[in-house]
Amino acid sequence: MDQKMSVMIVDDEMIVRESLFYWFEKAGHVTDTASSGSEALEKLEKFPFDILFVDMKMPGMNGIELLEKVKEEYPDTTVIIITAYGSVETAIEAMKMGASDYLLKPFKPDQLSLVMEKIIQHKKLASEYRYLKGQLEEVTRFDNIIGQSPEMRNIFRLITEVAESDASILILGETGTGKELVAKAIHAKSYRNHFPFIAINCGALPDSLLESELFGYQKGAFTGASHSRKGFLEVVSGGTLFLDEIGDISPKMQVDLLRVLEEKQIIRVGETRPVDVEFRLISATRRDLDKEMREGTFREDFFYRINVITIHLPPLRKRKEDIPLLIQHFLDKYSHETTRHVDHVTRDAMEHLKSYDWPGNVRELENAVERAVVLSKSRTLKTEDFSFLRPVSDPLLKQPRSLRDMEKEYVCHILSEYDWNITKSSEILNISRATLHRMIRRYNLQRTK
Amino acid sequence: MKPVNIRVGVVPVGEVPEIAPKVIASHFLGYLNLSADILPRLEHPEYAFDKRRCQYNAALIIKAFESEHFDSYDKVIGVFDVDLFVPLFTHVFGEARLGGKYAIISLFRLEKNLERAAKVALHEFGHLCHLEHCRDIKCLMHFSKGLEELDNTPLYFCKYCSAYLESAFSRVRT
Repeated sequence: MDQKMSVMIVDDEMIVRESLFYWFEKAGHVTDTASSGSEALEKLEKFPFDILFVDMKMPGMNGIELLEKVKEEYPDTTVIIITAYGSVETAIEAMKMGASDYLLKPFKPDQLSLVMEKIIQHKKLASEYRYLKGQLEEVTRFDNIIGQSPEMRNIFRLITEVAESDASILILGETGTGKELVAKAIHAKSYRNHFPFIAINCGALPDSLLESELFGYQKGAFTGASHSRKGFLEVVSGGTLFLDEIGDISPKMQVDLLRVLEEKQIIRVGETRPVDVEFRLISATRRDLDKEMREGTFREDFFYRINVITIHLPPLRKRKEDIPLLIQHFLDKYSHETTRHVDHVTRDAMEHLKSYDWPGNVRELENAVERAVVLSKSRTLKTEDFSFLRPVSDPLLKQPRSLRDMEKEYVCHILSEYDWNITKSSEILNISRATLHRMIRRYNLQRTK
Repeated sequence: MKPVNIRVGVVPVGEVPEIAPKVIASHFLGYLNLSADILPRLEHPEYAFDKRRCQYNAALIIKAFESEHFDSYDKVIGVFDVDLFVPLFTHVFGEARLGGKYAIISLFRLEKNLERAAKVALHEFGHLCHLEHCRDIKCLMHFSKGLEELDNTPLYFCKYCSAYLESAFSRVRT
């Protein structure tokens, strides 16, 4: 045998456990024993055994019950049933339920050896299959962005399409949806990928600092400018500049940046001579820029300049089918980083995580998995490991208001959730299409772009 | 291999022919450079007899050997003429615990072939010295699925198992 396995023998008879234990030990496998089904499950929670040899007849939880639980929680674990001659039919039943093989007591030593060879061969093929499947699953991973939902596949397609052009891109999405990852992916796929990618969070910098960071300054331009410094608009030369939270910049900065985008030149702070710059701009915001334009806080000309192509990143609650994939990715990541053996999430916990709204989106999910992995005492994450996730209170209920206002806001919310699909929205609201149309007219509701 | 000061005892049990322990002892000397003493014959261990299976339980015999007085020996090989089994298995040619002191072998299924007996004895002795089964089919520590495979197994250890044994012996020497 050329591959060492981790094996657990589950039998209530000590002499049976011992004799198999010594056999596997001599074959070089990592071996452990359990005298009952519940002890086996406890040990499985702590260590990922490859193979379980389970006696069919045990007091308490019998072999079939243990098999059911193991297959539900740890489907990758191989289970071999050990049974007496009289109960072959039950053994066959066990195989239908997911047992890989069965051994009739007593068996020849070479039979056990053959069973082990078969399992090792199967595990080898399974791991090759997973490797090849991983290559196919490239579509679910695009650079570091993970997702297999139709929405994310559209995003992946869009990234490839827009990467080669020089058009300015505006990425819209709630906080934590991965706007910077998309910007990085566009840069990585573009011909500019040998040049710098510089990301600046505009919301984190006061106006004056943002100006000197972007445009650079001449020595003596202001107090503390002891030497000249190039700004990011110069440093990024040939590459991609990512301005996150572009909605947070002041009107003055909007004008300055608009000029740069139109003239492809900058003037350092304290200088008069312009310098040529060449870069691609990708911006992102979680704000509703349409609304801000209507309110006059965001310049329309600047908006159209940065918004040649728009990418809308869906919030996690609208692509819940990606949640298991993301959880598995973060489990792998943090199990590896923290060297803790946490590789499973129970079905209940998965349902709990899928039903949660994730207001902080993928970033919140990542933090939740990391926290659960670090604090977990077993290899399986359960619902209670995520008890720190609290359902967000409905913003509609935050402040007292009239019933009419509530109705207007809720109808508006449902319409925008369903992209103004009247049929779907009226179904959700449980009113007729005609009533919904009446409400839209009554409240003067309009579809925002 | 260099001569070693490991004291090996070979114990005939029951009606084992006198020649059998002698052949085994000579193989220890020839292949491992270990001189093995032939110890006084023991009676069949009736406590280990399983009436239902008409076989002797090897696991019980090894446990009982631990209370016998073999204090002058580092490793002891019991040679049986009766059929041995361990629970769950139909039979075993030999049985030993990894790193243990006692190993037992049975001539019952070896069809009076003493070279086979010597191979099983040396294989079980390997387990007593912490050697696991070896993947090399040309190594005595390879697991033999039956008599045919046992016959194809050589009487010597592969270079890795030999090196492991050498280092195990040198630890005993120091």
